[in-house]
Amino acid sequence: MNKNTTTEQSSCLVNRRDFIKLSGSAVALLANGTLKRNVFAARQSRRPKPKNILLIITDQQHINTIAAGGCRHVRTPALDRLKTSGLSFTQSYSANPLCSPARSAIFTGRTSSEATVYVNGRPIRSDIPNLGQWFSQQTDYETFYAGKWHLPRTYTSNIPGFNVINTGIGGFGYLCDTVMSRACQGFLRNRSKSKPFLLAASFMQPHDICEWLRLNMDKPERLRYGELTRELPELPDNFVYDKNEPKNIKQRRLGNEPFKGKWNKEQWRYYRWSYYRNIEHLDAEIGRILQTLEDYGYAKDTLIVFTSDHGEGLAHHQMVRKNTLYDEAAKVSLILSWPGHIPENRTDTTHLASGLDIMPTLCDYAGIKTPKNMRGRSLRSILEGSSVSVNNFIVTEVSSNTGRMVRTPSFKYIVYKDDSVEQLFDMRTDPGETKNLAESSRYALELSEHRKMLRDWESRLDVQPNVPNANVWRQKT
Amino acid sequence: MAKKKQRTIVGSPLTPTLLDELGALSNFPPSSEDFKPDGNWVNTYRIWTCHGYRQSGNQNVGLLRIKRLFNSQRSLTLKVHQEILQTDALVSIVEATIECRNNQLATPIAWNLENRFIDADNKTLRQLSYKDAGQITDGIDRTACDWCLFEAVQRLKTSKETALAFDMLEGLSLFKKDQRLSYRSLDPTKIGGENIPLHCFVQLGSGILPCEYWLDDHHRLLVVVSMNKAYILDEQAEKITRQIIEKERKSYEKRKSSQRK
Repeated sequence: MNKNTTTEQSSCLVNRRDFIKLSGSAVALLANGTLKRNVFAARQSRRPKPKNILLIITDQQHINTIAAGGCRHVRTPALDRLKTSGLSFTQSYSANPLCSPARSAIFTGRTSSEATVYVNGRPIRSDIPNLGQWFSQQTDYETFYAGKWHLPRTYTSNIPGFNVINTGIGGFGYLCDTVMSRACQGFLRNRSKSKPFLLAASFMQPHDICEWLRLNMDKPERLRYGELTRELPELPDNFVYDKNEPKNIKQRRLGNEPFKGKWNKEQWRYYRWSYYRNIEHLDAEIGRILQTLEDYGYAKDTLIVFTSDHGEGLAHHQMVRKNTLYDEAAKVSLILSWPGHIPENRTDTTHLASGLDIMPTLCDYAGIKTPKNMRGRSLRSILEGSSVSVNNFIVTEVSSNTGRMVRTPSFKYIVYKDDSVEQLFDMRTDPGETKNLAESSRYALELSEHRKMLRDWESRLDVQPNVPNANVWRQKT
Repeated sequence: MAKKKQRTIVGSPLTPTLLDELGALSNFPPSSEDFKPDGNWVNTYRIWTCHGYRQSGNQNVGLLRIKRLFNSQRSLTLKVHQEILQTDALVSIVEATIECRNNQLATPIAWNLENRFIDADNKTLRQLSYKDAGQITDGIDRTACDWCLFEAVQRLKTSKETALAFDMLEGLSLFKKDQRLSYRSLDPTKIGGENIPLHCFVQLGSGILPCEYWLDDHHRLLVVVSMNKAYILDEQAEKITRQIIEKERKSYEKRKSSQRK
């Protein structure tokens, strides 16, 4: 089964130039000492298995919100510690930048359209196992879940395959994350260490920015806290955006609070300042769990995977929230750490990764086969120093199955159903996605190659007919 | 096809006036000129959260009770009890006894804290519960705790000169550096059709959204607001919390029995 999946993926059309460049960079990374080749070879033969696995998921966290990753606007000692203790992917994407769909991909390794979770609040298709169900069947890990689920209920005590140790309240991050991290702390303190565990700790923060937007939509006469004026973060370079956009994006922008409330630049900056404070709150709660791992003797034996369901507009392209395919919403942190097994303090700027890769990666580390038809790939070889790319391109879905993104090492292609405006960005020269190249004849070949990659990818998916636009993407040229 | 319910975005930050408009305020306990912030007292706050819409998603989620005991000119004791209802009738309870320095910040010097969870059958989940004890030995004059600030703010001068800088030990466990608390103003506030001027202190700092403390003329802390959550002084807070827990238990039972079917 795995073998078939591998064959399918490798037969995909790859942009040859990208591939060569990618291989070169990855080799260079290895030569620079990411992980010694002999260490990699030895590890491969032994294939050690972590005693415990901790999967930390945050909600709506922009990728550039970790101080140790270069963000100047936050203090994040816990995330800094996580980042410096492991390997982080900077080219990591959500499989669908909206809460439930993104989570369905993380927990199944299948696209959100396949899992029938194309919008928020839908359950995972019953014949597709989630991570908890699969690990319960295939491993001796006891599976636990704390915090936000959203498949379909945001919080619930009933999650197939998991023992639920905390449920959270309604939809508010500050209070429920504190209670959740305390519950995880209690769980780790009281647990007998004899049985291995898989614990998913799913935080609601920094999603509270959604409530903040509704409570700060109307432009005030002046900044409510004048003393903050000097410390408000600047606006991002791509605050000004290319007007040649698909109508889906334009409509989304106009429907957001900043446009309804006619914000000025100061209000945009205050929004960014407030978002960063939510990040710091999140960081403190994550720190509580990491410290407990340390204090109670779990740290050395625990593989930690850290990611977010999707990003946050954060004023890039004058967007807030998520559900678009620009990097601010689609890119997410992906950090893995396991002392002695994953190199410390490494940043992988080369390899593409997706939320779809988390399930197969965890199966790989647990020493089990994956469920059938995984769309993601295990990243373990990269984490152990391999120079070979696992994803030559990745695909992200969006907006009730009406949009798609294809990301190759050099380009990003975005297309929406029934919209003649396509977008193509050269991510090497224009990482802020400000110049749409789709209409330039110079890029006709790249455009056509990316369209074909998407079509080939879609042709392999098992999307049920009741999913909106189930057939659109196979036919789309 | 069912019509989507129209919801109005609140649009501006929560204040006591806005909380009243949103129906979050009940009558505050009658004010008393005998209230002594530095004496013995018990304040019970209802915890209310806002989803950002006027019509829906706003709810009471629990309570925070703070009891102050005068020890000496040098120290005081705070007994804290916080209950927060979770989905499917789980209740998170945190209780702490804090010995505080009788300084401007009510700095926590030593404490015992118990964190426990109660399930829908009212049983303690021992596997999630724990007890902690702690003390501060360094930086006493610069350290505060969020719960202690509920006490301290009532003893501060309501004047523009009041401005404190400190680090915060949130929930007696999370360290949040570089906080500042200052007096903002006496604001005209409209509650229940009446104009009641309230004093406002503002706390800004790392790891928190701005937090506003609203006090009456007797220095009694009536409302604490930080972004979408509010702590509202309410004599009925206990009763209301019991009611919401009971309601959630019933609907959880209903959900469970429909799942069994």
